Amino acid sequence: MDLGEQIRNKAKELIEIETVDCVIGYERATDGVGARPLFAYKPEEVDRLIFDQTCTHNLAKYLLNRKDKATAIVVKPCDSRAINLLLNESQIQRDKLFIIGVACPGITKTGLNNTSEELQAACQICQQHTPVIYDFLVGEPPASEPDIAEAYADVAAMEGQSAEERRAFWEEQFSRCIRCYACRQVCPGCYCTECFVERLDPLWVGIRIAPEENEVWNTIRAFHLAGRCIACNECERVCPVNIPLSLLNRKLEEEVRELFNFQAGMDAETPAPFATYKKEEVFPEIG
Amino acid sequence: MARTGVFICHCGTNIGGTVDVSKVLEAAKSMPTVAYVDDNTYSCSEPGQASIHDAIIENRLDRVVIGCCSPRMHENTFRKTVATAGINPYLLEISNIREHCSWVHGDDKEAATDKAIELVRMAVAKVASLEPLFSRQVGLTKRALVIGGGIAGIQAALDIANADYEVVLVEREPSIGGRMAQLDKTFPTLDCSACILAPKMVDVAQHPNITLLTYAEVQDVKGFVGNFEVNILQKARKVDHIKCTGCGTCWQKCLERTPSEFNLEMGKRSAIYIPFPQAVPLKPVIDTEHCAHFKYLEAKEEGRDLPDCNICQQLCPVSAIDYEQEDQIISERFGAIIVATGYQTFDHSVYHEYGSGRYADVITGLHLERLLSASGPTGGEVIRPSDGLLPKTVVFVSCVGSRDEQKGRAYCSKVCCMYMAKQAIMLKEHDPEVQCYIFYIDIRAGGKDFEEFARRAQEEYGTLYLRGRISKIYQEGKKLIVCGEDSLIGRPVEIAADLVVLATGMEPSIGAAELAQRLKISYDTNNFFIEAHPKLRPVETNTDGIFLAGSCIGPRDIPESVAQGGAAAAKVAALFSQDVLTTDPMVATIDPMLCSGCLLCTQVCPFNAIDTQVTRDGRTIALVNETMCKGCGLCVASCRFGAADLRGFTQQQILAQVTSLWR
Repeated sequence: MDLGEQIRNKAKELIEIETVDCVIGYERATDGVGARPLFAYKPEEVDRLIFDQTCTHNLAKYLLNRKDKATAIVVKPCDSRAINLLLNESQIQRDKLFIIGVACPGITKTGLNNTSEELQAACQICQQHTPVIYDFLVGEPPASEPDIAEAYADVAAMEGQSAEERRAFWEEQFSRCIRCYACRQVCPGCYCTECFVERLDPLWVGIRIAPEENEVWNTIRAFHLAGRCIACNECERVCPVNIPLSLLNRKLEEEVRELFNFQAGMDAETPAPFATYKKEEVFPEIG
Repeated sequence: MARTGVFICHCGTNIGGTVDVSKVLEAAKSMPTVAYVDDNTYSCSEPGQASIHDAIIENRLDRVVIGCCSPRMHENTFRKTVATAGINPYLLEISNIREHCSWVHGDDKEAATDKAIELVRMAVAKVASLEPLFSRQVGLTKRALVIGGGIAGIQAALDIANADYEVVLVEREPSIGGRMAQLDKTFPTLDCSACILAPKMVDVAQHPNITLLTYAEVQDVKGFVGNFEVNILQKARKVDHIKCTGCGTCWQKCLERTPSEFNLEMGKRSAIYIPFPQAVPLKPVIDTEHCAHFKYLEAKEEGRDLPDCNICQQLCPVSAIDYEQEDQIISERFGAIIVATGYQTFDHSVYHEYGSGRYADVITGLHLERLLSASGPTGGEVIRPSDGLLPKTVVFVSCVGSRDEQKGRAYCSKVCCMYMAKQAIMLKEHDPEVQCYIFYIDIRAGGKDFEEFARRAQEEYGTLYLRGRISKIYQEGKKLIVCGEDSLIGRPVEIAADLVVLATGMEPSIGAAELAQRLKISYDTNNFFIEAHPKLRPVETNTDGIFLAGSCIGPRDIPESVAQGGAAAAKVAALFSQDVLTTDPMVATIDPMLCSGCLLCTQVCPFNAIDTQVTRDGRTIALVNETMCKGCGLCVASCRFGAADLRGFTQQQILAQVTSLWR
């Protein structure tokens, strides 16, 4: 029985006995190659559910619109961390959720009208192949885990640069930003009722699209995700100008892990590093 | 358009000697919204305040900037000044040009003047965006909770009750009295401890304003000053204290015998018991772990057979024994809480060199108190726990669990030097043949008549003080060999002792940290509670309405504990003398439209001042309790949504200050 069939069987059962009124999963996109989100409310809609290595979207974001409605959701391991994050931040309720976890072999770069066998960048260095929270699990995790040092090789390379080199690099990256906010829209951690970038009083970020304003946008967003990013890398995937956002996010993830021994979304209970103070936390000199 | 008045204080030469005040005034004239400028030699003086008051009225000013000393000094003074001139007191901004400017830049007058101008410019920018703020009033429950029935808690309860306010005194043991009840005599007057304590205990029991809850513990605390909601767990005593007359039949007839906690397990007590003869209330509780009836019930459940006993129930003349009684939760409202949970003695088993508790005749100071006490396990006869012989050579070891960083106890326990001297005197009084040796590091006898007392122990009672630490104690036959060094003559010493007394230090009572967490008050690395200011607010905590007394704050002797109990009671009485509490309006606010309900602020708030509320559209969001908020701003810093803001320091106001510098 393939993964899709297992998911369909479970989803049908959940809809028929009315455990949930919607199953959020994936269906084949109209290009016949990729995948797109599916909201299945009826048993016949459930038949369209699939799962394969093209199912890239982090569907946890959609739970923010269904906070108090009983929902089943298909999650990959990285998406499951988003669910823990949202539970921890009181955004969703566990008893309204049925989580269909998928042990994930990694998602390919297959996109619109484009078939590829190569894994996405985030999947090549993924450390988490089994969902951290689920009610029903399908699939088998791959046998081998990649080396953690390798996962942060690009971060280490960036750290090796001088402050001037880093500044020049990021200035160039941010100068390309068109402030479409696709990164924000796709991110499960970005759910402010009014984003700081849209506040008029005080006006934190100037409205014009200029390198220095773009820099403010991207840095503040990165800081708002420090200790919260669950490494689904959807922001980088949707960026139309290919800003390496995961480099920024993983740098902060590494800092938080080293300083506070904390990784976002691994469980729903551990309070955020921001909310706790432990005596053994020592802050390094800022160089 | 705002009309701002700028007043610059010379502060004699404190500011005027460094900052060119006339230049600052000149610059201020051209700042936006400024309608009037003036200077004073001393703005805080009466003529200074009068000139500000008059200028406000004459020039129709509606906002005021005063360039002077730190707002910590005179912000309140000037708030009152502007209020008398009809301006909302929160439309005042202090520009600190003394501590932040003239005092630190005395060597460069030009730069200091430039900086003063910039500081005033920032204040002018901020004052224009200030909004009038108004205090709110909340009611209060004039009933106090005292946690801990030792001498500090007893004193606090009595003083509040005598001020004619209701008090509930909660004690987790079956009787109040605390550690003081276990002591024999008190230094330096050698009063009998129980004799001076017992009348106070009886007063507590009889006082119409005091409700005594013994064998009870505080379970959780909600609310804020004036309005605490506390759940108290009344543990099942299995005895109906309303019916019980304290006749004593039950505990005299009980057949079970188990080590007495009060006598540090040196004597026995019955399973239905009062901890000591002067106990208050003089009504027993059943220790279900050791009672034959409850052992029988437990065995029956497991299918084993044990003989039943219900002799206490049969013999009780008023049928007060109630085996069915269950734990009970008592919920009460209080306006103030005094924490007086006291201390316990350090567990010396970590000291391997002193035998880790292996030698029966190595005892602690508190054990010796019980042996010396006429109501103790030996009736006041000091005998060796191992063989009951009378000790003739007694060695005291000071600083066990005090002043010893290796054992994690850096602090001095303060009372040990004195109680060793007292015990040496008492031993000699009991038996003139006794020779006492005290190994000490320093003799700390700072207190009224303390030094004279310690000297008397040496001169009149022949106690030998040897300066140095003990390296080892070991048993040889019936003797304990104490090896140490007399560091004054630099020679090793060995004493063959009959009894060794370890002067174990004080540490907070077990559960102190958990209680502090429930109350949201701070505690230090040793789990002692932290006072709001070590000198000026010694019985307050950083949480309004919660006060401290006695050795839960740090080592205290009896007079200090009594004084602190009284001091905390005075603070409570002053609080209760008000009919409403006025809140400080400079507190945090949360914009319900912006709050996305992550509730991080509820976790970072050190004052437990953020509650949640459900909006009409069903969102759970944060809500500031203005009475508890201290305006620290941690919620503002942690809020990603920008929903939290601080009145008087709003994000707009601070941005206005910062942007005024971009020119």
